[in-house]
Amino acid sequence: MNCREALDRVYEFLDKELTPEVEREVRDHLEACRPCGQQFNFEEAFLKFLQARCRTRSAPPDLKRRILRDLFGE
Amino acid sequence: MTTPPQSPPPVDEKRAAFEREALVHLDALYRVALRLTGNAADADDLVQETMLKAYRAWHQYQPGTNAKGWLLTILRHAFINEYRRRTRHPETVDLDAIEPFAVLDERQDDDPQGQFFDRIVDDEVLRAIDELPEQFREAVVLSDVEGMSYEEVARILDVPIGTVKSRLFRARRLLQAKLYEYAVGMGYIKGNRT
Repeated sequence: MNCREALDRVYEFLDKELTPEVEREVRDHLEACRPCGQQFNFEEAFLKFLQARCRTRSAPPDLKRRILRDLFGE
Repeated sequence: MTTPPQSPPPVDEKRAAFEREALVHLDALYRVALRLTGNAADADDLVQETMLKAYRAWHQYQPGTNAKGWLLTILRHAFINEYRRRTRHPETVDLDAIEPFAVLDERQDDDPQGQFFDRIVDDEVLRAIDELPEQFREAVVLSDVEGMSYEEVARILDVPIGTVKSRLFRARRLLQAKLYEYAVGMGYIKGNRT
């Protein structure tokens, strides 16, 4: 696997969406290629940051009450 | 004196199942609705309507399957049919023409770990997501906000998995570029880009 092929799969790799064979090929490439390793680390940090920042919101308490009233007349 | 019924009325069973399998996903539906509509009042209405539709169609849901995906599909259809026209206009941008630059190239020397991201607050990230073209935004919201698999996202959006991959790839890069530019604008980091 060359750099281009590895970098094209960076998100699939981080999202754990690759087949075990392809994942192994990417890992092998990363062990041998420092710049790609850096790029993967950077993207991993970005995804962690992104996910941590936007998974925090909950529905307003009043919404659940409205829905229950709507569905079950409460 | 009345004798209690042998089994609870069906409506109670339906309600119990609906509460157990559907209402537990209220927060997820709300987060997605908020990003699709762009405002809290419409998000409330969209979720309420989704739950109403889902309750009416509950006989079509197979217990134990992916309730969250099923509900999000209903929510997205409701959004497209009833809200999009008045809340946001469908895009006319050419998504294929969007080629965001790789932010790491800019940060390579000073900050290869991307530590500048940590200075950016929730609201700013959500605003950047809201500014994405709708097809990119949907992919990011389902994947990054809700943690769904590519296959689940593909099913909800009714597109091939390859399309999900490509939208997600470009959406995340675009988001990175927006947040980088924001961080430069705020003076958190120095921009190298001319």
